[in-house]
Amino acid sequence: MGLDRRGFVKIVMGGVAGTLFTPVIWQSLDDVSIWSQNWGWIPRLNKGEVKAKSALSKLCPAGCAVKVKTVGGLPFAAIGNTANPMSKGGVCPICTGGAQLMYSPARVKSPMKKVGEGKYEAIKWEEAEAMLVEKLTPLKGQDGKIAAISGDETGTANEVLSAMLAGLGSTGFYVMPGEMFTATKGVKLMGGNGQPGFDIEGSDLVLMIGADALDSWGTTVANQKAFAATRPTGGAATAQYIYAGPVLNNTASVCDKWVAVPPTAMATFALALANQLIAAGAVSSAADFGDYKALVAKYTPEAFEAATGLKADVLKDLVAKIKAAKAPLIVAGASFGQGAGALDFVAAASLNVLLGRVGQKGGMTLLGAAPKAIASAADRENAKDAGSFLASVATGKATPGALLIYEANPAFALPQAAEMAKAMGNIGFKVSFSTYMDETAALADLILPAPHPYERFDDAMNPYGVSKPTYLAGKPVVSKPVADCKDPVDVLLAAAAKLGLSLGFDTYADVIKAKATALGGDFDALAAGGIWNGEAKGGALTLGAGALAKAVPVKTDEKAVALAPVTRLAYGTASLATPPANLVTLRDTELVGKDLFVQMNGATAKKLGVAKGNKVKLTSGSGEIKARVHVSEGVAANTVAVLLGFGRSAWDEFTKGKGENVYKILTVSDEAGTGLKVWAGSTVTVAKV
Amino acid sequence: MKAKEFNIKWGMVIDLDKCTGCGACMTACQVENNIAPMVDASNKLRTLSWMLVYELSNKKAAPDAEIAYLPRPCMQCGNPTCVPVCPVIATDKNEEGGIVSQIYPRCIGCRYCMAACPYHARYFNWEDPIFPKGMEKTLSPNTSVRPRGVVEKCNFCHTRLMKAKDKARQEGGNPEALADGAYMPACAEVCPTGAISFGDIKNPEHKVHELAKGENAYRLLEKLGLAPQVYYVSKREWVRKLGDNYAATGKAGAEKKHS
Amino acid sequence: MDRALFPDGVERCSFGKFALWMGFVTAFFLFGLYAMILIFAKGIVVTGLDNYFGFGLWITFDLAVIALGAGAFFTGFLKYILKIDQLKNIINLTVIIGFICYSGAMLVLTMDIGQPIRAWFGYWHPNVHSMLTEVIFCITCYCLVLIIEYVPLILEQKQLNKIPFLHHLAHNMHVNMALFAGIGAFLSTFHQGSLGGMYGVLMGRPYAFREGFFIWPWTFFLFVLSAVGSGPIFTVLCCTLMEKMTGRKLVDFKTKALMGKIAGTMLTVYIFFKILDTWAWANNFLPSVGMTFDQMFYGIIYGKWLMFTEIILCGLVPAIMLITPSIRNNPTLLYTAGILDCIGVTLNRYLFTVQAIAIPVMPFDSWQFYYPNWTEWSTCGMIVAYGVIVMSLSYRYLPVFPQERALNK
Repeated sequence: MGLDRRGFVKIVMGGVAGTLFTPVIWQSLDDVSIWSQNWGWIPRLNKGEVKAKSALSKLCPAGCAVKVKTVGGLPFAAIGNTANPMSKGGVCPICTGGAQLMYSPARVKSPMKKVGEGKYEAIKWEEAEAMLVEKLTPLKGQDGKIAAISGDETGTANEVLSAMLAGLGSTGFYVMPGEMFTATKGVKLMGGNGQPGFDIEGSDLVLMIGADALDSWGTTVANQKAFAATRPTGGAATAQYIYAGPVLNNTASVCDKWVAVPPTAMATFALALANQLIAAGAVSSAADFGDYKALVAKYTPEAFEAATGLKADVLKDLVAKIKAAKAPLIVAGASFGQGAGALDFVAAASLNVLLGRVGQKGGMTLLGAAPKAIASAADRENAKDAGSFLASVATGKATPGALLIYEANPAFALPQAAEMAKAMGNIGFKVSFSTYMDETAALADLILPAPHPYERFDDAMNPYGVSKPTYLAGKPVVSKPVADCKDPVDVLLAAAAKLGLSLGFDTYADVIKAKATALGGDFDALAAGGIWNGEAKGGALTLGAGALAKAVPVKTDEKAVALAPVTRLAYGTASLATPPANLVTLRDTELVGKDLFVQMNGATAKKLGVAKGNKVKLTSGSGEIKARVHVSEGVAANTVAVLLGFGRSAWDEFTKGKGENVYKILTVSDEAGTGLKVWAGSTVTVAKV
Repeated sequence: MKAKEFNIKWGMVIDLDKCTGCGACMTACQVENNIAPMVDASNKLRTLSWMLVYELSNKKAAPDAEIAYLPRPCMQCGNPTCVPVCPVIATDKNEEGGIVSQIYPRCIGCRYCMAACPYHARYFNWEDPIFPKGMEKTLSPNTSVRPRGVVEKCNFCHTRLMKAKDKARQEGGNPEALADGAYMPACAEVCPTGAISFGDIKNPEHKVHELAKGENAYRLLEKLGLAPQVYYVSKREWVRKLGDNYAATGKAGAEKKHS
Repeated sequence: MDRALFPDGVERCSFGKFALWMGFVTAFFLFGLYAMILIFAKGIVVTGLDNYFGFGLWITFDLAVIALGAGAFFTGFLKYILKIDQLKNIINLTVIIGFICYSGAMLVLTMDIGQPIRAWFGYWHPNVHSMLTEVIFCITCYCLVLIIEYVPLILEQKQLNKIPFLHHLAHNMHVNMALFAGIGAFLSTFHQGSLGGMYGVLMGRPYAFREGFFIWPWTFFLFVLSAVGSGPIFTVLCCTLMEKMTGRKLVDFKTKALMGKIAGTMLTVYIFFKILDTWAWANNFLPSVGMTFDQMFYGIIYGKWLMFTEIILCGLVPAIMLITPSIRNNPTLLYTAGILDCIGVTLNRYLFTVQAIAIPVMPFDSWQFYYPNWTEWSTCGMIVAYGVIVMSLSYRYLPVFPQERALNK
C-alpha cells in the first residue's frame, strides 16, 4: 500500500475533523468547570430570607449587644447593633464568630452522666433532672454540703443560684476570680460600697494601670468606642491614653505611651506616681491624706527605678500630663483581668481619690447595689471566691457533697489549676451546666448542656467597668437549640420546686422580666437591643492608707523572673477556649503547632541565657510548663509573658493539646492585710531544656 | 503602565493609630466569606486569611518599643499586577468601582497571580472546605464555597455591593451613586474602633474622599506603581516609613529578621 | 533475545543487563508515580509549597528542563534552516531530549496546578495578555512538533520500517521536516522568551521585574539566549554520558565541539547582556522602587553567592571556555564548561522562581524559607526516570546515532 503526501494529509485532517464533530467531547469539557466547583463534598449555601435579630451575645465576659444575621432562620453572622449605646455598632472578635460557635464540635449535645473515668453516657433529660434532685435531697438543710460556682459575673442566674442554695440551707455560693470581685473588695478597703466604674468616655487622659481596657478588660467594645471617639481619623486626638503594664499588648499598641512596669511592681508604680503627684502639689481632702502622704513617701523615684527598671523621668512626664489634663482617669486592674490583690486595686484607685476624680465626669464612679429579682439572693459585694473554696476542699476543711458549676471552668481557669482539678475529686457529686465540653465538664458526674447565647434568655447587670448602672437583656434568636439542651436556670428552678423550695419563678425568662421590672426597665425594649441605665454615684472614698500600710513589698528571688500572663479576647476567655473562627488570628510568634511561645525582651533573654526559638521550661512553686522563646521588646524588664487560655485538655480538635495551661504555674499567695488570694505577682524560673 | 480608572473607586482608609489588632475584622471576614476553620491555623504559610493583621515594630528595645497593627485586605490595585498574568482570565479589573474580581470556577490554580502580588493578598485553597459537622448551616449566603485548588482573595465583600445596588434600585435611588455607608465590607462593618473607613474615594460625599488625601495618608509600596485603592493613615512616622522602601533616600528598608 | 530489534550493525548489552537497568530506573519512576497519584488524590497540600512559595521546585525544574531541552529547536533550526549539515550526527538525540524535556515539563505542570482537570482552560479562556497563556500555547504546540519529529525516528526502527505504510509515512514526515523545524524554532523562541517574560512583567517583584531597559520585558530575550546558550551543550553532555555508560562511541568529537561552539557563542552573547542587565537593574531599577541590591539577598540560602555563581562562575567562565577553541577542543574542558553552563542556567531559573518571590517587598514582611518535600523531589525524579527510560529504549532499538556504526568499527 502506498501513501503519498496528499493521502497522509487527508488522513490526519479527517481524523481531527471527525473527532471534533463528536458532541460528547465538547459537552464534557464544558461541564468540567461546573463539576469541579460543585463536588458533592463542597457544602452548598443556605437559601432564604436574610434577617437581622437583636441578641445579647454573652460569649465575651462583658456581653456584646449584637444583631444576628440569619438566612432562612439560620444564624450566620453577628454584626454590631448601632442602636445600642454601649456597643455602638461594634462587636468583639469572639462575638463576631458567635454563629459558628453554635455548631462548635465541643458542644455538649445532650445530658450525660459519668459511667467511668473519662467515660460518659448520653441520658434523657427526665433521668438527668431526677438524678440532680435525688443527689441534692439528702444534702438539703446542711450548711456547706451543697456548693455552687458561677463563672458568670453579670447574669441574674446568680441570684437564682444563691437564693436556691440559701433556701436549701447552704451559704456555699462562690464566684470565679475576676476584676469585679477584687475591685469590690478594694472599694470596701477605701471605705466605700459597691462596684467601681470608670468613665473612660468622659475622660481626656486615661491612665490604665494594668487594665487591658481596649482588648480584654471590662466592657471592651464600649471602651474601644470611647477611645475611637477621641481619635477621629485624619483629625487631632482629644484624649490621651497611657498604658502601664508588663506587656505591650493590644491596648498599649494604640496608646500614646506604654510604661513598661513588671507585674511585681504594679502597686509600687501607682504609689510612686502618687508620691510625685503629691510632690507636685496634689492634695486631697480625704481624711487619711496625712497617713497616705507619709506612706507614699517611701515610694521614691529611686525605689520606682529599682522596682521597675525604668527611669524616673517617666514619672515626671506622667505627672506633667496628668496635671495638664482636665479630666484625668486612672483605670485600675490586673494586666490579665484577675489575680491582683485588693491592695493593688487600692494603690491605683487611690490616685483617682488623690486627684479628686471620684464621682466626676470622666472619673471613677461607684455603682450601688441594684434591685434584685429574688430577695433572698446573695449580694454581689459579699461574693466568695471559688479558688479559696476549692483550696479548702483540697485540705478537707470544706466537705461539700454536691457542687453545681454554672458556666464556669474551675478545673482549668483557676490558679494552680492542677490542684484545683484534684480538689474537685473530693466532691461526691459534681454537676456542670455548660454549653461546651470543657475541662470541668469532663470531670463532672452529670453534664447538663446549656444553650448557646442565641438559644436562650439571658441578661447582664453592670458588666464590670461601666461608669453607670447598666442592664442588658436578650432573648433567643432561634426557635430551637441545635443541641438537646435546657436553660440551666429553668433546670435549677424545677429542681428547687421538687426539693420543696419555691423561688417564685418557673423560668429564667420570668426571672429576667422581673429583674427588668425591678430596675424600672422594659424587657421587650431591652430584648430588642435596648439598654437600661441608672445614675452613677460618687461617694466619699478614702485613700485606703490604712489598708495600704499593711502591704508588704513583693520580694523577688534573684533567679526568678516575673510572670505576666497575657489575655487576648480573640483567643477566648476563662470559660471559652479559642473559637474555631478566631484561631486564624493567632500569631506564629505566639503558638506554632502545639508549641506555645514565651515572650521576653532581649535583655531578659540575655540574662536568662536563652535565645529565640530555644525550648525552655518555666517552673513555679505550683508546676511547670514548656514553651519556646520569642524575643519581643514589648515586655517589661525581668518579665516573661505567656498567653493564657491554651493547653486545653477537653474541648475539640481546634484547641485540645495546643500549648500549655499557664494557670498551672500561677502561684497563689495570701495578700497581707486582706487575706485575699492573689497570684498576679507570680514568679517563675526559666531553664533551657 | 497607567492605572485603570473608573468613575467610582471603592477604597479603604485604614487608621493604624486606631487599630488595636483585636482580630475582629479577620474573624468577620472568615465568617462572611465562608472560609472553613483551620485546625492548625498557626502555620501562616498555609492559612487562608483574606484579611490579615500584620504586626509592625519600631525595632527599638524595651521600654521604648512600639508596635502597630496593620490590617491587609486585597489592595484592589488600580494597576493590578495579578490581573494581566492570569492565563485564563479568572481575575479581572473590569467593573465600575475597580474591585479586582476572582472567578473561582475559572481558576486553574496555577498561582502565577500569587507570585505576582507583593502584598500576599492572594491565597491558594490548599484543602477542600470541610466544616465541622453542622457548621455548614452557618454558611453566609454571600459567598460560594470554593473547592480546593483555586486561588482566592478579598473582593471587598462584592456581594454586598450587588445587594446595596439592588436596594438602591428598589428604593428608587441611583445604584451608581450609593450613599456613604450603604455598602460596607464585613471587616469595616465589624471593626470596634472604626479604624477601617470605606467608601468611594472619588465621591466627595464619602468620608474616605478627604481621608485618602490627608497629610498622613499613604499607600503600601507606592513606588512599585500598583496604585492600590487601600490607604493607610498614621501619625507615627515610623509606621508610615514601613509603608514603602526608601533605600534611595537612605530611610527604612526591609526587615532582615522574622518578627 | 531482542537482537532482531536492534538497529542495523550495532551491538547492545544483553537483555538481562538491560532489564536490570530498566528495573532500577523503573523503581524511581514508580516511586514518583506514587507521589503523583497522592498529589492528584489529595491536592498539592501534600507538597512543600505554600502561600509565599506558590512556585517552587516544580516550576524551577520545568524552566530548567525547557531551557536545557532547547537543543532540539536550536539544532533543528541550524540543521534544517541554516543547513549546517554536520549537525545531522546529533540531531536525533536533540529531538529525543527535547521531547523528554517538554513532555516531562507538561506532566509536571498538570500536577502543579490546583485544578488539573481545568488544565485546558488556557485554550478555552485564554488571556492574550498573559505570558503564561503564550507559554501554554507554545509548549503544547511545540510538544506536538517534537512528537512529529520523534515519530519518524520510531518508524525507522528496523522491524517497523519493514511495513510499507510506516516506511512511507516516515519518509513523508522526513520530507517535511524542515517545515516542522521551522515551526518548532518559531514556537520555541516564543515560549522560551515568554517564560522569561513571565517574570519580567511581575511589577510587584523587584528581583524579576524589568522594564525600560532596552525593550519590554527584557527578560524575554535573556531567557531565549540563555536557553540556546545551554541546550546544545546539554545534548552533548547527555551524549557523552551515554557513551560512558555504554562504552560505545556515538557522536564524533568534532560534532560535539561544534555544538559547544554554538552554545558558547550564544552564551557569550547572553552573558554580555545579562551583565549589562544586572548592572542596570541594580543601579537604576532597584533605586527607583526604593530598594537596594543588598535587600535582594539574605543569609546563606538567599545569599549573593548565588548570583555570583550564576553569572560569573557558571556564566562568564563557561562562555569564555566555550568560545576559546583551544579549551573547547579539549574534551575534559568542554564537558566541564558544559556542566558549568547547565548549572548556571538552572540556577538562573531557580533564582527567578524562588528568590524573586522570597524577597519581602513590604518592609514589615519577612524572609521565608521554602523546602521542597519528598513529593516534589520524587515526581521530578519520576520525570528524570521517564526520560532515562525513553532514552534507553530509543538507544537500544532506534537508529539514533548515524555515526555509531562507523565510529565503533
